[in-house]
Amino acid sequence: MLLLDYQNVLIQSVLTERFAADASPVSIDQTVSDFDGVTFHISTPETRTQIMVSLQIRCYQDLVRYGAEEVLNREYGPYVVAPEPGYDFSILVDLENLPATPEERGELVNQIALLKRNAMAAPFEQAYQEHYHLKAEASKFTSEEAPQGMREGGAVKVVQYREEEAIYVKASHDRVTVIFSTVFREETDRVFGKVFIQEFVDARRRAIQNAPQVLFRNDPPLELHGVPGVKNTGTGEIGYVTFVLFPRHLTPQRMPDVISHIQTFRDYFHYHIKASKAYIHSRMRRRTADFLQVLRRARPDHEEKERKTASGRSFKAGV
Amino acid sequence: MANQTPTVVMDNGTGFSKLGFAGNDSPSFVFPTAIATKGGAAGGGSGSGRPAVANKPSFLTGGAGPTGHLSMKRGTEDLDFFIGDEAIAAASGPGYGLHYPIRHGQIEDWDHMERFWSNSIFKYLRVEPEDHHFLLTEPPLNPPENRENTAEIFFESFNCAGLYIAVQAVLALAASWTSPKVTDRSLTGTVIDSGDGVTHVIPVAEGYVIGSSIKSIPIAGRDLTYFVQSLLRDRGEPDSSLRTAQEIKEAHCYVCPDIVKEFHKYDMDRSKFLQHVVRQPGGREVAVDVGYERFLAPEIFFNPEIYSSDFLTPLPVVVDGVIQSSPIDVRRGLYKNIVLSGGSTLYKDFGRRLQRDIKSLVDDRIHQSEVRSGGAKSGGLDVQVITHKRQRHGPWFGGSLLGQTPEFRSYCHTKAEYQEYGPSIVRRFALLGGPGGS
Repeated sequence: MLLLDYQNVLIQSVLTERFAADASPVSIDQTVSDFDGVTFHISTPETRTQIMVSLQIRCYQDLVRYGAEEVLNREYGPYVVAPEPGYDFSILVDLENLPATPEERGELVNQIALLKRNAMAAPFEQAYQEHYHLKAEASKFTSEEAPQGMREGGAVKVVQYREEEAIYVKASHDRVTVIFSTVFREETDRVFGKVFIQEFVDARRRAIQNAPQVLFRNDPPLELHGVPGVKNTGTGEIGYVTFVLFPRHLTPQRMPDVISHIQTFRDYFHYHIKASKAYIHSRMRRRTADFLQVLRRARPDHEEKERKTASGRSFKAGV
Repeated sequence: MANQTPTVVMDNGTGFSKLGFAGNDSPSFVFPTAIATKGGAAGGGSGSGRPAVANKPSFLTGGAGPTGHLSMKRGTEDLDFFIGDEAIAAASGPGYGLHYPIRHGQIEDWDHMERFWSNSIFKYLRVEPEDHHFLLTEPPLNPPENRENTAEIFFESFNCAGLYIAVQAVLALAASWTSPKVTDRSLTGTVIDSGDGVTHVIPVAEGYVIGSSIKSIPIAGRDLTYFVQSLLRDRGEPDSSLRTAQEIKEAHCYVCPDIVKEFHKYDMDRSKFLQHVVRQPGGREVAVDVGYERFLAPEIFFNPEIYSSDFLTPLPVVVDGVIQSSPIDVRRGLYKNIVLSGGSTLYKDFGRRLQRDIKSLVDDRIHQSEVRSGGAKSGGLDVQVITHKRQRHGPWFGGSLLGQTPEFRSYCHTKAEYQEYGPSIVRRFALLGGPGGS
C-alpha cells in the first residue's frame, strides 16, 4: 500500500452491507475514528431503516468559513439533516428510499465514505475558484502594470486541523500555494521526516518534472508573514512543507484528484515514516539473526574442562 | 468525551483479528490474521517465516547482484503486501505467499506482525497512532519477552500515545458483566474459551491468571465441523464439503440434556429432521438432510468418546479438575462464575448443560464427604455458568468496555514512561477494572 485511501473503509463496508438488496435491517451504533481526530458516528436513531452518519471535525468552524456547507450541500443535498448534538454535520439515508440500481447505490456509498474528504475539500475548492478569478483578472494586465493586490493574490486561508498543526492555502493568479505546518514529537521522526521530504524535493528534480514544487523549511515561509497563529519559535520545532500547485495542476478536471492527494499528505507522510521504521526494524531483526548464527557456529565443539582431584589440585590428563 | 479520541482495541487471535474502537458493542473489523507478501510462502527454501526483505543483500549474501541492489534501494517491496481478507484473495493469485504471523495465540513472526499492525492501523482503522491509546490482548502464559517486543513496536514504530496489554481471559470475564446474572463485577472466575483450534479452561483470581491450573482440551470448533462432516459422509449426503458442515454446525446445532431421550424424541417426531439447502458453485442447489448431528456435534464436548479415541475426559470433568487444582480460598468464586467465551460456546443450552453436569459432580463429592464425616452437613456450593450476549467476541468486548472507562488512560503506560524505564515497563500493568477501578 503506497497511498492511503481517501474514503473511510468502515463506513464503506457497513453501508455496502446495509444497502445490499437482500439485507435485513439491523440497528447500528458505532463510533468510528478517522485521521486527524475526526469522529464519525453511524447509528440508526429512530427506525432500523434510517441510517444516520454524523461527522465531528475539529476545524469545522474554519471549514464553514471557507464554504464547507456549500460543498457538503452540493455533495449530499437530499440527505443532509440537522446535525446530531455533539457532531458538526449529519446525513440521514432512508433504506426504503435508495437509488434503484446497484451502481447508483455503490456510488452513494462511496460518496458517503468520502464525507471527511469532502468536508476538508472546501478551502481548496475556494482557492481554486479564487485562482480562476485572479487569472481572468490578471490576463487583462501585463505583469508590470498589474495593481498591487493582484500580484499578491488572495488572503491566506487557515485550517487548524490539528491542535498544533494547520494547513494554509493561498491562491494567486499563477499558482495555489498549500503549506502544511508539521510538528514532530520525536527526534527520530524529525530525521525521518527530513529525509522523506528531501526525497520529495529530489523526485521533482530527477524524474517527475511536472510534479508540484515542494519546499521544506523550519521557519515560516514568506507567504505566512502576518497570518495570525503563525509563531516563529526559532527552535526549528515546527517544519513548514510548501506545495506549489501550478496551472497544470489547477485545471478543473484535475481538481478532485489533486485535492484528495494533498489532503492526505500529512497522514501519508506519517504512514511512510512508520513504514520505514518497520522496514528498518525487520532488517535489524534479520541482521541479529545472522549474527547469532555466526556466534553459534563459532562455538567450539567440546570445551576443555579443568578437572580437579578430590583435594582440589588440578591436573592435565595425559594423552 | 468529544475531544478525547477513542481507545483502539485490538484482539489479535490465531485465526482472526478483531479491531475496533472502545465504546462500540462490536468490533469494527473482523478478519483473518493473515498477511500476503510478495515472494511466495516458501520462497527460496528459507522457510515460511522469512520476510520479503530477506531478499535484501545482507552481509552474508552480499553482492548477490549489484543491479538488484540498486533497484532495491529505491524499491517499495516492503509495502507490497495485503492483510486480512484481501491477503487471502491475493494469495490465491500468483506472486503472493500467505503467512499467519500468530501461532497458538502467540506472535511468532514479528516482521509480519509489525506490518500487519501498520496496515490495520492506517488502512482499516484509519487513525494516527500518536493520537490514540491502544488496548491489546495477549493469551494467558504469554512470555514477558513477547510483551516487550510488542511494546517496542508500538512505542518505537508507531509512537502510540499509550499502551495497555490485557490477558484475554480477564477481558472475557469483564465482558460477562453485561449479563444480568452478574451482580458484583468481580474479576474472579473460570473462563472457558473455545475457539476454532483449541479449548482452554482458565481460572482467574482477582484479575490474575492461575497459570499452573490452566488446562487445554484438543476439542474445539474445527473438530465439531469434522464430526458433522463425517456424519454427512456416512449417510452419503449429496454435499459433504467442509463449508457445508460448518454452515450446518452454525445454523442448526444445539446441546441436548440427555442424548438417549433426544434420539427417542427424533424417532417420534419427524419434524426434528431438517433440510439444509446448499448453493453449489455453478448455481445448483442441493438439499442436505440434517438429523442427529444437530445435537451430536456439540455433544463431543460432554462425551468425547463418540469422536476422539485419545482424549476422553468430558469438559465438565476438566473444569471441575481445574478448579480443584486451584488454591482452596478462591475455589468458591471460581465455581460461582464460570464464563463462556469464543464461537464454539454459542450453542443453545451449552451453558445450562455445563452447569448441570458440574453441579452434579460437585454435589456427588459433597455428598461423599458428608457420608465419610459421619453426619456433618455441608452448606452447599454455588455453581453458575454465565451465558451472555457478547460471547463470540468476548475478549474484544471486554476490552471495549474497559477501554472507554475514564480512568483507563491512567492505567496505560505512555511513551515517556517507556523511554524512562525501557521495554521492561510493560511486564507490569496496574489491574484494569480491579479493586478500586470502575
